[in-house]
Amino acid sequence: MTAKTRIPDPIELDRAEEARLRASAGLAPPTATPEYAGFDTVAIPDRPPVTDREKEVYTLDEGEMLFNMGPQHPSTHGVMRLVVKVRGEIVVDIDPVLGYLHRGIEKLCENATYTTVMTYVDPMDYMSAMHNEHAPAIAFEKLMGITPPPRAEYIRALVMELNRAFSHGLMMGFLALDLGGLTPILYSFINRDEVVDLLSSISGQRMLFNFLRVGGVNWDVSDEFISRLSTWRAKTGHTVGLSEKLMTENEIFIRRTKGMGVLSGEQAVSLGVSGPNLRASGVPFDVRKAHPYSIYPELEFEVITHEAGDVYARYLQRVAELKQSLHLIDQIVDRMPHGPVQAQVPGIIRPKPGRAYAAVESPRGLYSVYAISDGGPNPYRFRMRDPSFISLQAMPVLMPGRLIADTMAIMASLDPIMGGVDK
Amino acid sequence: MDWDLLLAIGRFLLATILLLLLTVPTAFIVGQMELKIIAQMQLRYGPNRVGPWGMFQSTIHGFKMLAKEDHMPDRADRITFTLAPWMVFMAAAMSMLVIPFGPGLVAFDSKISVIYFFAIIGLSVVGMLIAGWASYNKYSLLGGLRSAAQMVSYEIPLTLSIVGLVVLTGSLSFTEIVAWQAEHGWAFVWQLIGFPIFLIAAAAEINRTPFDMVEADSEIVAGPFTEYSGMRFGFFYFAEYVALFIMSSILVTLFFGGWLAPWPLPAQLDGFAGALYGLFWFFLKTYLFVLVAVWARTTLPRVRIDQLMGMAWKVLLPLAIVNLLVTAAVVQLLEL
Repeated sequence: MTAKTRIPDPIELDRAEEARLRASAGLAPPTATPEYAGFDTVAIPDRPPVTDREKEVYTLDEGEMLFNMGPQHPSTHGVMRLVVKVRGEIVVDIDPVLGYLHRGIEKLCENATYTTVMTYVDPMDYMSAMHNEHAPAIAFEKLMGITPPPRAEYIRALVMELNRAFSHGLMMGFLALDLGGLTPILYSFINRDEVVDLLSSISGQRMLFNFLRVGGVNWDVSDEFISRLSTWRAKTGHTVGLSEKLMTENEIFIRRTKGMGVLSGEQAVSLGVSGPNLRASGVPFDVRKAHPYSIYPELEFEVITHEAGDVYARYLQRVAELKQSLHLIDQIVDRMPHGPVQAQVPGIIRPKPGRAYAAVESPRGLYSVYAISDGGPNPYRFRMRDPSFISLQAMPVLMPGRLIADTMAIMASLDPIMGGVDK
Repeated sequence: MDWDLLLAIGRFLLATILLLLLTVPTAFIVGQMELKIIAQMQLRYGPNRVGPWGMFQSTIHGFKMLAKEDHMPDRADRITFTLAPWMVFMAAAMSMLVIPFGPGLVAFDSKISVIYFFAIIGLSVVGMLIAGWASYNKYSLLGGLRSAAQMVSYEIPLTLSIVGLVVLTGSLSFTEIVAWQAEHGWAFVWQLIGFPIFLIAAAAEINRTPFDMVEADSEIVAGPFTEYSGMRFGFFYFAEYVALFIMSSILVTLFFGGWLAPWPLPAQLDGFAGALYGLFWFFLKTYLFVLVAVWARTTLPRVRIDQLMGMAWKVLLPLAIVNLLVTAAVVQLLEL
């Protein structure tokens, strides 16, 4: 018989790491490990802790336990991993680990022409693909010095608001799902399917629309589309009301969310949180008003805010903004002018060397693009600011001291989309 | 030879075998209700491929369990890991012994069947706890401890809410409680506080929404069942559906007249037809309460563990005691 090479058990390696960590923290070494040691062991980090923050998270006090939520977990939105330090059911500390969905989209865009960048940015924040395209489109138009025709701007604003409507609707459903309510998510998907059918009828795709172009939009909207839109518009209030009825007034829902995960206005500003999460904390900052773009200065709407800054306020904020989007859609359809939908753009776009920055209000907040041109056919540098990445920074602030069940509610209320976080 | 004793043993064995066999279709029917009725409430079709209207979907789910790989984590405690599903399932199956399905249709007509029932149904918590411990998984452990905390807490208001009824009827036997209701009317009229307490505590006891802390899928994956697969997992699911049926049937027996027909109809008939008549009304009422549980599952979000415990100790327990005192006073005054 040949001697077998013994492969070290990851849990044993982990114990050695734990002993080292405990020694560095001045704690007694862990007790000897019998065959069945129980649950005092550390969750397995995939590498030794490097930064001070990681050392802080991975060092355990008496009675504390680490466990991994994700990247495969029923309720971490997408492939997010949370290393949660708990004492019983109470969360002591939390460390989001990112990068499981990293596709290098910004670098891909630097190697693509200005026209094909539009196809790469769609799958970033896949719940708001239209907004992903809007920011680079505006930035490239600034670089080129072109203005899209008015009808193109109106169609853009229309699809933006449609996209916002279904994104906020889905957030309501996911929040309910993370709180254990099974039904609102399915009602949200009714609305989402109808919007996506509408958008696919003008763009050709259901999720990653690839609809905007530098200098306009890809296709004009037909009268048939407008009539389908008004049919949808007539019944959408009812569909949204279905989920609302199950959530807004529900006693259990209110008790789970009111006063939970309170983010003050100052905290939110200093963390860089934007969008509905910021406005739910009482800060009236909306890119559509603060730094107007597209046709938003011509439309009539107010910046909605809520004061409480808790999970319930963030939920109400989404519902209110959903309804606001529906009103904006009505205004846009009423005022839509006739004319071309695409400005005159050269076949190969080569902007003069320069820099451009463009910000839009995506369903998750301030979504912006910074592009540098060196005169070539593709962007020299291309960077995007994704709002859900910034929102995640609020999690280690909001979650400690709460129960495990609340971490899910808080995370769902911040509405991060991992495609956008990891890019 | 004592033929009476032999006959009684034979009858008992036959009844237990029938009850064990009954668990299988019961689990399938309740499972199918969950699939199909929830689908209707959520404005979707639900399963519609297996059999007419998809009515064999849950049966196929059950048989699928048999075909799946039986996986056990490397560091699991092998003996207890194997034992846990059986404990949970047997706790549910054994408690069926004392349920009166119809006049004379009860496997074991004891004088203390109420006590027997609540003693046996409480055993399932042991199975959950050792499943959580034996799996060598932190989610399982959290779920197991949650189930222990939840079930032990809710056992108390659950049992106390019955004591009022026991005082009222003067009996600890399910059949005699039904007989009392045949004379005095259905007991929920007499127990306007006791019935809601029992309803809530029963939902918590069998881990139904909104009290499904134990397997809160968005928090702790599947609680103690996380590491289970194949038929071991199937037994947990069987037990859960059977427990739902049992709790509904006990609720019907205690508060809604068991096998008695509702008011304008004759409450019970004699002979073989009477047994069938009773069976019909018993199952109808029981599945109505199963439907209520399914309905609650589509409607309500989950409560948090501290709210859950707070409700048991701060609301339900004092109310149950008040209910007991009031009932005792009423019984004294009216000399029932």
